[in-house]
Amino acid sequence: MIILDIKNLTLEIESNGVLIKALDKVSLTIQENEIRALVGESGSGKSLIVRAISGALPPQWIVTADRLTWRGQNLIKMTRAQRQAIMRRDIAVIFQDPMAALDPSAKLKDQMLESVPREFIEGRYAWQRYASRLSISHKILHKVGIQHVEECINKYPHEVSADICQKFMIAMALVSQPTLLIADDPTRGMETNTKKQILALFTRLNKTRNLSILFVSHDLLAISAMAHSMTVLYCGQTVESGKMKAMRRRPLHPYTKALMDSAPSFSPDLKPKSMLVALDGTIPTLQHLPIGCRLGPRCPRAAKECVQMPTERSINQHTYRCHYPMHVEPV
Amino acid sequence: MTPLLRIQQLTYNPPKRWEYFSPRSDFVLGPVDLHVNESETLAIIGSNDSGKSLLAKLIVGAVKPSSGEIILNGQPIGTHQSKARANNIRMVFRHSAESLNPGISVGSMLDEPLRLNTQLSPAMRLEKVMQTLSLVGLMPDYYYFYKHMLSDGQQQRVALARALILDPQVIVADEPFAALDPSVRSQTVNLLLKLQAELGLAFIFISHNLGIVRHMADRTIVMSGGQIVESNLTQTLFTAPQHPSAQKLIYAHNSMLKF
Ligand SMILES: Nc1ncnc2c1ncn2[C@@H]1O[C@H](COP(=O)(O)OP(=O)(O)O)[C@@H](O)[C@H]1O
Ligand code: SF4
Ligand SMILES: [Mg+2]
Repeated sequence: MIILDIKNLTLEIESNGVLIKALDKVSLTIQENEIRALVGESGSGKSLIVRAISGALPPQWIVTADRLTWRGQNLIKMTRAQRQAIMRRDIAVIFQDPMAALDPSAKLKDQMLESVPREFIEGRYAWQRYASRLSISHKILHKVGIQHVEECINKYPHEVSADICQKFMIAMALVSQPTLLIADDPTRGMETNTKKQILALFTRLNKTRNLSILFVSHDLLAISAMAHSMTVLYCGQTVESGKMKAMRRRPLHPYTKALMDSAPSFSPDLKPKSMLVALDGTIPTLQHLPIGCRLGPRCPRAAKECVQMPTERSINQHTYRCHYPMHVEPV
Repeated sequence: MTPLLRIQQLTYNPPKRWEYFSPRSDFVLGPVDLHVNESETLAIIGSNDSGKSLLAKLIVGAVKPSSGEIILNGQPIGTHQSKARANNIRMVFRHSAESLNPGISVGSMLDEPLRLNTQLSPAMRLEKVMQTLSLVGLMPDYYYFYKHMLSDGQQQRVALARALILDPQVIVADEPFAALDPSVRSQTVNLLLKLQAELGLAFIFISHNLGIVRHMADRTIVMSGGQIVESNLTQTLFTAPQHPSAQKLIYAHNSMLKF
């Protein structure tokens, strides 16, 4: 069953009198029990999608969508209170950059205790309830792999390493036992061992607790180790989406292909120290968006038609937007 | 053959006053031995706090070692900051974005090391700056750009240009790829491979990205607890790591690949 359903989500903002589409017809679904990766480079709009889902967009953004629903309920139409209730109990978000998301002036312990939902706390008296919150916190902190919990918990965020801050963020997100976890770049800059621990934890929660996960990242190795399916975003447009295996074996969109080529680990036959296949140029800024398919100026397969936005097509649940996809015979 | 750069019995013991701040005042680095040849790439891997960044800083002279010797082209260069070292061993810092001064133009940023370290005339310096910009694939216009006008990849190129401007023989980089997006990362890898082939640079880099380490590095050393615990040809190390902490890292990496 689909729990989160986004169809043609467009986000516009005015800049110097013109409307700019920061997100242009983005589509994304998450099934119950699914781990879906949302992949894209910085500036491609990943975090905007996360904020659109969580309702954390500034008011000057114009949001339109054919669908933006949580278990069939329209997220755009519902009241603030209804939406906050969903965000408090069903969907948990780990925002990018744990150091910025944590309050630097409060001990980790206080921030952790604060995030334990009221309905889980046992006991009648204040001291009982405090003990209950503390024990729930300890359990979850152990589970996310923090060693020496007793020592860490009494520190301020700047006194512990970035890895530990990240683990605290994860613990604070998971303590409400959400149905969907949205993790915005949770393994950024992590060393291999820590990364493996976090991925193992996510995979375990997915298996044992049926936790669905939207894993926002451009760490292809981490993604392919864990995700069941993947949606690729380029410059505010969803260019391809499908099952992880199919996307790795036969990417249809030239940008997905470029992403796969950027991870040398995926090409075991690559000669050491040989040049990597890479797209020229960089992702354009919002002020200089190309018309039509936004990959156009960097795309090795681009042709005249590409100034028209390609429509979305599908083969076996593998969806793409491209006039000249790879591995597909022209019609 | 004498290696381009040889490090012998290099150690670092933190000064006493550090103890007040550091929870790990017992941390000592070394003694370490390592060497790198012309046109060779050496990668340093290891878990957090294993001393990788500190070793890099010791090599470039940003931190003074307690003992040991650094030999460049067969000549001991002393463990203190010297001209020979400043010009020949250059560092690209971890978050190059943070290490670029936002208040001055790219041109002045690149001119500065030339002004401080060479006798070149202004016209010759300008020419050198232009040459170096083109070497890293930036148009001459970038001379007048400021940091905020550059993308991540361009900032990385400027940081590299600044390291290259004195024609060093060795480039040391701490996590040069960590902050980069996939396509920019591939471009940077290609640029470094190209520069190495053209200029014969020796390249020492620290990275958590073992896929790139395996692709770029001729040899790899593994650090743990301030020591080099293993050092081998990259391909050998990745197929048969010996030391437990090397095994842990490489198996963790390989386990992610299996899917
Ligand atoms: N200048 C310094 N003086 C004393 N100790 C230091 C200094 N720089 C780093 N350290 C300590 O050395 C250890 C290794 O640090 P670092 O080289 O940053 O590790 P890594 O780069 O492998 O993560 C850490 O415990 C750190 O606190
Ligand atoms: S639509 Fe055209 S420009 Fe866009 S990815 Fe396909 S071939 Fe390239
Ligand atoms: Mg480091």
